[in-house]
Amino acid sequence: MATVTLTIDGRQVSVPAGTSILEAAKTAGIDIPTLCYLKDLNVIGSCRVCVVEVERARTLQASCVTPVANGMVVHTNSPAVRKARKAIVEMILSDHPYECPTCPRNLNCELQSLADRLGIREIRFEGSREPKEPDFTTPALVRDPDKCILCRRCVAVCEKVQGVQAIGPLGRGMDTVIGPAWGETMAESPCVQCGQCILVCPVGALYERDDTDAVWKALHDPKKHVVIQTAPATRVAIGEPFGLPPGSISTGKMVAALRRLGFDKVFDTDFTADLTIMEEGSELLERLEKGGPLPLITSCSPGWIRYMEQFYPELADNVSSCKSPQQMFGALVKTYYAEKMGIDPKDIVSVSLMPCTAKKYECQRPEMSDSGYQDVDYVLTVREAARMIKEAGIDFASLPDEDYDAPLGIGSGAGVIFGATGGVMEAALRTVYEIVTGKTLEKIDFENVRGFEGLKIATVPVGDLEVKVAVAHTLANAKVILDRVKNGEKFHFIEIMTCPGGCIGGGGQPIPTDTEIRLKRIDAIYEADRGLPLRKSHENPVVQELYKTFLGKPLGHKSHELLHTHYKKGSRHGSMIHKEDQGVWFLDRVVANGDGTCDGEDR
Amino acid sequence: MEFYRSHVLVCSGTGCQASGSLPLKDALEQEIANRGLDKEVRVIPTGCFGFCRFGPNVMVYPEGVFYCGIQREDVPEFVEEHLIKGRVLERLLYREPETKASVVDFEDIPFFKKQTRIVLENCGIINPESIEEYIARDGYFALGKVLTMKPEEVVELVKKSGLRGRGGAGFPTGLKWEFTAKAEGSPKYVLCNADEGDPGAFMDRSTIEGDPHRVLEGMTIAGYAVGASRGFVYIRAEYPLAVDRLNGAIKQAREKGLLGKNILGSGFDFDIEVRLGAGAFVCGEETALMNSVMGRRGEPRPRPPFPATSGLWGKPTVINNVETYANVPTIVRKGPEWFAAMGTEKSKGTKVFALAGKINNNGLAEVPMGTTIGEIVFDIGGGLSNPQKKFKAVQTGGPSGGCIPAQYLNTPVDYESLAELGTIMGSGGFIVMDEDTCMVDLAKFFLEFVQSESCGKCAPCRIGTKEMLDILKRISRGEGKEGDIELLLELGETIKQTALCGLGQSAPNPVLSTIKYFREEYETHIRDKKCPASVCAALFDAPCQNTCPAGVDVPIYIDLIRQGRYAEAYEEIMRENPLPVVCGRVCNHPCESKCRRAQLDDPLAIRELKRFAADYAVSLNGKKPKAARKDATGKKVGIVGGGPAGLTAAYYLALQGHSVTIYEALPVLGGMLAVGIPEYRLPKKNLAKDIETITALGVEIKTGVRVGKDISWEDLRSKHDAIFVAIGSHKDQTMGIPGEDLPGVTPGVTLLRDVALGKKVDLTGKKVIVVGGGNVAMDAARTARRLGAESVTVVYRRRKEDMPALLEEVEAAEEEGIIFKTMVNPVAVKGDGRVQAVQCVVMKAGEFDSSGRRRTMPVEGSEFDLPCDVFIPAIGQVTDADGFKESGLEFARNVFKADPKTMATGQEGVFAGGDCVSGPATVIEAIEAGKRAARSIHAFLGGTGDVVPAPKHERKLSAPINEEKTGRVHGKVVPVTTRVRSFTEVEIGFDEEAARREAARCLRCDVKG
Repeated sequence: MATVTLTIDGRQVSVPAGTSILEAAKTAGIDIPTLCYLKDLNVIGSCRVCVVEVERARTLQASCVTPVANGMVVHTNSPAVRKARKAIVEMILSDHPYECPTCPRNLNCELQSLADRLGIREIRFEGSREPKEPDFTTPALVRDPDKCILCRRCVAVCEKVQGVQAIGPLGRGMDTVIGPAWGETMAESPCVQCGQCILVCPVGALYERDDTDAVWKALHDPKKHVVIQTAPATRVAIGEPFGLPPGSISTGKMVAALRRLGFDKVFDTDFTADLTIMEEGSELLERLEKGGPLPLITSCSPGWIRYMEQFYPELADNVSSCKSPQQMFGALVKTYYAEKMGIDPKDIVSVSLMPCTAKKYECQRPEMSDSGYQDVDYVLTVREAARMIKEAGIDFASLPDEDYDAPLGIGSGAGVIFGATGGVMEAALRTVYEIVTGKTLEKIDFENVRGFEGLKIATVPVGDLEVKVAVAHTLANAKVILDRVKNGEKFHFIEIMTCPGGCIGGGGQPIPTDTEIRLKRIDAIYEADRGLPLRKSHENPVVQELYKTFLGKPLGHKSHELLHTHYKKGSRHGSMIHKEDQGVWFLDRVVANGDGTCDGEDR
Repeated sequence: MEFYRSHVLVCSGTGCQASGSLPLKDALEQEIANRGLDKEVRVIPTGCFGFCRFGPNVMVYPEGVFYCGIQREDVPEFVEEHLIKGRVLERLLYREPETKASVVDFEDIPFFKKQTRIVLENCGIINPESIEEYIARDGYFALGKVLTMKPEEVVELVKKSGLRGRGGAGFPTGLKWEFTAKAEGSPKYVLCNADEGDPGAFMDRSTIEGDPHRVLEGMTIAGYAVGASRGFVYIRAEYPLAVDRLNGAIKQAREKGLLGKNILGSGFDFDIEVRLGAGAFVCGEETALMNSVMGRRGEPRPRPPFPATSGLWGKPTVINNVETYANVPTIVRKGPEWFAAMGTEKSKGTKVFALAGKINNNGLAEVPMGTTIGEIVFDIGGGLSNPQKKFKAVQTGGPSGGCIPAQYLNTPVDYESLAELGTIMGSGGFIVMDEDTCMVDLAKFFLEFVQSESCGKCAPCRIGTKEMLDILKRISRGEGKEGDIELLLELGETIKQTALCGLGQSAPNPVLSTIKYFREEYETHIRDKKCPASVCAALFDAPCQNTCPAGVDVPIYIDLIRQGRYAEAYEEIMRENPLPVVCGRVCNHPCESKCRRAQLDDPLAIRELKRFAADYAVSLNGKKPKAARKDATGKKVGIVGGGPAGLTAAYYLALQGHSVTIYEALPVLGGMLAVGIPEYRLPKKNLAKDIETITALGVEIKTGVRVGKDISWEDLRSKHDAIFVAIGSHKDQTMGIPGEDLPGVTPGVTLLRDVALGKKVDLTGKKVIVVGGGNVAMDAARTARRLGAESVTVVYRRRKEDMPALLEEVEAAEEEGIIFKTMVNPVAVKGDGRVQAVQCVVMKAGEFDSSGRRRTMPVEGSEFDLPCDVFIPAIGQVTDADGFKESGLEFARNVFKADPKTMATGQEGVFAGGDCVSGPATVIEAIEAGKRAARSIHAFLGGTGDVVPAPKHERKLSAPINEEKTGRVHGKVVPVTTRVRSFTEVEIGFDEEAARREAARCLRCDVKG
């Protein structure tokens, strides 16, 4: 590609043609401030914070959207630029609530940092700051339009990364808001509650519904037996809010911290990840034997399930009937574990620590109560857990490593890699291969399903069969592979994860979460796997014990009762209504079924 | 084809439809059929003539007679007279507003005469729903011609013509086509922007309504030139008639093989679709428009890439506006050289403007580039709709443009000149404003518009315009702060520099340009909490009071008169104006020009009412209400000059307990009131009544004392703690023409003074010529008449409507037989030992001066002599400051320098005001100057600075508002035959019944809510 040479702040810079001034300046060590810009994702030049002076241009130019040209002379810090930039940030601030100390993004807010960086000490404009209704309609997300600065990063991620388009700009001028079409609520919208919008929101306009108070209450209640499960992807991210570099494996410190918070037992979702492999692997084998329906598609990711129910209901029978590891865990805690420990399940409070916001929604789905109780009571995102640890004054970084509690704290490396895109596939292949062939894998790492590529397709020889598998992360990529399936392309097994990079990039992870950080967490996941003595699910002794003493066999009667579920076909725009008195969420709307009928049976 | 002896063209544009052209057309057809003429006469609906103000417009061919404002009830008479008897129906012709002469041929109507019609050449001439009529006017000839050319040649041709984008930005059209033609990518598209959205602009709508094929032909030529086979017209759904005509035209063109496959057998395929917009202003921005065409949210995106390389669906797209395409067929037909010969160096061809606002000829006008703004306003536009009002500014470019004030009326219309003034050509909005427009309010209006039309995408436009609007709203509420103007400028500049699209970048223009040209008006709002145009409702109680230079609370005293409480009415007037007997007779009553009652019937006779109350009160003699005088302060104030300013200052200062002495050079008090205004307007005995009220407060009077002669400046200063200089302007201004010193030349002010002071002047049998158009000229002329002159002629170099004299004075003079010779200027006084004649020259209208009036210049060789015996130049007065050489007061350009708000001079304790500071002005302005000086002097002497007694009356209705249309009550006047023989007062004034009836007409604008 052709190279363009230009002058930025008096220095010659050569970059490929088509590069923006902003990116070109970065190569010269100049960090032009931005607000709406998200590289490759939201390049719309709407906030105008990144304006620069380009000699001979009539007006200041937004550097994020202006391509470089040969001989261009750019000033990024001239008096005109500084004045305009400050005035724009002042304008944005004038229309933003002055609520920094009480904002969930306090001290981690890009607008706040920008005001600090530009030295804004007064806001000369009255601003309107007209109060708008916040949206509390979903179990996972809160949308606060008062704080929204209309940067549209959330819109971009929802549209381009997830292909959901649940939200977009509505209204004009000062009445512009970002929200679902027709002013509907988030619950009425096709939002899958993945929380990717939260990760890209520069301010506190989108955040997770906070469940820390409820968890604190349970922890302080001596009559309650409070257990917590920790998802695979949490261990490689929870150190970040405490200053540990991304990619730090903090499993032992996390266990220690949670124990110090007062959890009676600290367990590992890896355990039910292994169990999932047993169930789902068996399901795959069964379908391969019976000839379908194929491909089998994974079901761990609740955002993906919600997406499938709305956009691909015709593929519902292809999706594994296995509950997600979180929900399997929940069902077992209040049955198997309660029985084993002799605790009345009503006294058990089951908490999960998840990298995910959709898990908050998943645990409240009405069908997720096969134990006779809501199987998982509360879901904490990594951000919430970090806040609790901070509030309790626990010095996370200097904690000793501690081990999970037995028995549900025992998991394999296969369970750990569930946290990264391709991980479920690899874990399944490790097990299926050995079950089908009866041979031990020579090379346990399936490199061809690893990595950050949006779509990975591989053919894996399993005995006589060439198993064709696909791995997709992000729903936009899911759409690509699902359309290929609908167009008749044959696959045996497909893994779909809602979030970029898989759960390590989940909507409940620490902010910032960007590609660079995601890649470091993925490396850490595989490192954690390598460091474990146990790396295949079917070799997990506790899992084996569970089948022996409680479940019987994979896909057996008890498994079906506790570990499997069913899906709503075509429940597009089903509305989640919070029933205050019952403390649960209901789908409360007559919904259109995929087959053209309507019903309200979700109620 | 059938032949008819007569074609009756009925305008069926949206404007004329609104004034009833559809029922008119039906009635015409009906009547013609009833009279059995339907085989002879044909009624044809046409597009817009552009003369919308006088709609419905009808043209009868073959005679070419143009009728205005014809309604269905006129139809029988019209058919009878014109179509049967062959007589022109005089009463429905257009009449020249000045001469009242009727005009038969529309080409003789000034509105059409100065136009050059290219885009509008068929509008009003052809039936827009008939492709045959378009073809008959050489339609689609250009398309046929380009199909024999190479596409590059077509691009070259358009480039050569110099055509620039008529949407407003003025990008060279040929260049745009070339970029699109050369861009890689296929297919390519042609897009027509018909999303006309400027308030008051409707040229694109009218073009499509009146001549839709022209636009289609232009687009098809563009399609051929750039290699496109598909075109779209993006038009707002609020234009139903235009949409219908467009769809009809597309259908017809397809049927004739002028759209679709293999056009005219050339192998070129091109078709056009209509896309309706929902009416968002931002969709006129090309990238937003394209988003909307593609079914996306209509909001702009950053450029580059430009549409020429990446437009609709990412493909090369040429986008131009309606008017641009409409020019193309004619350019192709008549050649680029023909087009380029019109206009200015960089702006070729013509531009269509939509004349709106306070202009006489509302409508559409197409003028060659380079026509001046003034020509459009005054020649084509017919001047202001109310010629009594002063022209203030024109807004071009709608909400994205700016205003052009009076001093730039000579600016030629072209892209660069308008940009230089801080506005834009825009799509052709042309909104005329007069003195009743508040520029802060105007800026607020446009900002409100852009605020609500901002798409909300970029922060500067979304938030910045809101911040600017908030500031403007604050200012217009009277909550403006120091620094607001600077903040508006900074915000405006930031938005201009940083907004994403053209809408945002130009959104601050109306604010920036009104600040640029009318900053003072903003400052008045902010500092004085005053809206001079009486628009910002929070800043005044009633427009009359707000307009009165002395701030007299008109509605309160009028209401007291209505209640029969005349003495209290007088007392109320006296709070703000100590000369009510005088002002009730000679005030120029700016209050009446702003009276809201004028919108219902006529303005109130406020001056007459004041006179009634004042005359009533002074008739009570000792019982008339008096303001209380405060205890003596021991401070001494010397006032130099006993005119209205000096008298007023004396009154207020004496009330505060200061000891006041007036030094008057003349033998009488009153200044110009005594020696300038003739007896028949202001009898001396009435003037004396007001003076008595003031002297009764113990003011010491020294008449016949001239400073610098009878008393030295030093002496004056040493005797007083403070001095107010208010010596007026009593010296005649000379004309500077030969013979001015001949005997028989008597300057106006001198004549009036001589007469007032009782000097014998006899003009019996004399031919008198007065030069000038002001009140002194009228006074001199009417005085000369009364002194027995055989004839009195007023010579004035401009038109009668340009005369600065009060309209009623001019009319009274005319009634008294005074002859007016306008557009004539004296160049020499001739005579052998004495005046015998005045040599004059005929003047013709020239450029506009800074006040918005036309300059006049002599017509070469037009000199002629006017015989006369007495020549009275009355062209102005200057101040005689000879006695103040020692004072140290700064005197330049015939006036003393003083702060216009405080009247303070550079000398401590010395204040100056009235005509000697402002230059010759009105009585009421002198009164205000005296009042201001009194405030400052009072404060200087240690007082509060507050001199006006507190108001006594509550602002509430005493009776229901009377909205019945009754017209103004007129006071009695002495008949002309009697009055021209004597100096008795002409106006007799109201009797009690008339006064109360007139007072009851007040709408009480001051009582709000």
